Amino acid sequence: MAQTLYPRGTVKKIVKAHTNRSLSKNVDVLIFLNYALFMQDIIKEASITSKAANERSISALSVRKVREGCLRKFAG
Amino acid sequence: MSESARKRPRTSPQNSEGPEGTGNTTLYTSLRQLAGIAPRPTTPFKRASSAGPTPGSRRTPNIVIRTPGTVAQTPRSGARPRQFPARRAAPTTPHAIRALRERANAARTPGAHRRRSGRIQRETPRDILRDLSRVLAPTTRPIKSSPQVQDSRRQSALDLPDVEDDPEPAAPRLSMPLDDMYDDNSFDEAPPRQSLLPEFLDDVDTETIHSLEFGRRALSEDPRMTFAARLSELGLGGEELEIDRTFINRRPTLNPDQILQDTIQEEVDDTTTEIRTLTGQREGRSSEVGLGVFGQTDEPDEPTFRFTIPQRIQAQAQNIAQDGAQFEDDTGQDVESNAAVNEEEEDAIAGFEQDGWESDPHVEDDEDLQAYREEVSAVDRSLQTHSPERPIPAEIRPRRQRKELHISRCGHEYPSFNPTVVKRLANSFAKAQGSKGKIGNDTLDALVKATDFFFEQIGEDLAVYAQHAGRKIIEESDVIALMRRQRKITSNNTIFSLAQKLLPRELLQELRMHPAPKLKGQKRKRMESIEEEAG
Repeated sequence: MAQTLYPRGTVKKIVKAHTNRSLSKNVDVLIFLNYALFMQDIIKEASITSKAANERSISALSVRKVREGCLRKFAG
Repeated sequence: MSESARKRPRTSPQNSEGPEGTGNTTLYTSLRQLAGIAPRPTTPFKRASSAGPTPGSRRTPNIVIRTPGTVAQTPRSGARPRQFPARRAAPTTPHAIRALRERANAARTPGAHRRRSGRIQRETPRDILRDLSRVLAPTTRPIKSSPQVQDSRRQSALDLPDVEDDPEPAAPRLSMPLDDMYDDNSFDEAPPRQSLLPEFLDDVDTETIHSLEFGRRALSEDPRMTFAARLSELGLGGEELEIDRTFINRRPTLNPDQILQDTIQEEVDDTTTEIRTLTGQREGRSSEVGLGVFGQTDEPDEPTFRFTIPQRIQAQAQNIAQDGAQFEDDTGQDVESNAAVNEEEEDAIAGFEQDGWESDPHVEDDEDLQAYREEVSAVDRSLQTHSPERPIPAEIRPRRQRKELHISRCGHEYPSFNPTVVKRLANSFAKAQGSKGKIGNDTLDALVKATDFFFEQIGEDLAVYAQHAGRKIIEESDVIALMRRQRKITSNNTIFSLAQKLLPRELLQELRMHPAPKLKGQKRKRMESIEEEAG
């Protein structure tokens, strides 16, 4: 799906800033994996809602509607 | 049995069709139709157990299955009534029921794979409950519980809530100063002038008053550049000036007339009055210019600025008046010189502002002009007019730059996730979903926000997990535990299967290189424990 690498440095920085802890070497890969799952979920839901609203493409509104639910799904 | 009872009436309408057929055809055909009707309840009787919920699915397979069933069963039609009670009696034991269901299912669904998938997904109640929990749990719980409980406690508590309520007004306190600022502006606009006038009546210097009057005339006559530019602006909109100057006109008209009378009535040598006249109104400063008694250098700059900005002048006047009160002991000239210095600084600043402000509003209506001026005054007072305008835009620019860097709860700055990556991911997933439309900028913004929220949430969760494990470093096991809790990793879905689906090879290899041994160790431990339990 994702054919190229993501910016590993930024992911590490972001998580480091939020957790206030250091990361072990390859955690960011797993975190990005989780993020990819999240994106997959959010886009699946958003496409469903946008189709239900008879919109051609995924709209920002549908993403916003779905966002909170998806975040709750991915809460630990 | 209730299901079979339901199915009987279904057969009855078909029977009603039957008599119509009999009307058209012979008794044999009617009997055959009855025979065809009879097996129907048998087939749904089995189906109901497997595919209970969907009525639409029942109808279509019924039609398909009837034809072979009828063909096979038409000769047995006489025996069917016996078969029905026999079949109904048989399923009383659970084994017989299951066996019948399995037979029926096997006959209907040819593909083994279909059967398994369908049964597993539909029939296990755990999955249904899990789906329900996933759908219901996230939406309901967290939002409602916390605020309601707090409110109820506070309200239910006896006198404590009153104490707590007091700090709540504290929040408005933050807004209070702003309101006060505006209020002060409103007060300053009209009343202080009025208040000044009676004060003039009490304490007035003849010299200053005269100077005020002369100053007006002198201002119009002064040919200097600053004046000319501002006068030209004013002169272009002469009518507007009169209308706009509702504030301005009031000040000069009220002041000079009364001042003249005052001068005639009383002659007093008070530095304070001089200061007030100078600071409070443009005329006073203009008068200074005309008289030329006070510092010649000060004269030209002061009046021009004050004409343009009425409200600011008031603010300055208050400040200067305070200064003057402190210097009352000194001679009037000294006080005036101090005031003049302050005014010069302020005016130099004000000149830039006023030019910028007035040039725009002239085009617009008078009300807008007044509104602009009021706003300017409010802003200036909040900033305390002494600060020059140029630094303000400098402050705004860095704010725009700061938007790119967010600050987390821990106080660390972090960059926002690269939107191109988000777009790439989203596009790939959208294509996988089958939606053709591309992702627009708005949706991309929303997605980027979602990613920000996601990373914030995940960071907090991971921090809690690591802390629980007594580690200061976040490790793979934390993420794995998190994903297990999210039900992303199950007995069927391992991390590697997920990674293989979603991640490129290079990342997969890195995943396999390092965390693999740890995972195996964990799994072995768990397996051992399970075996021990089983043993």
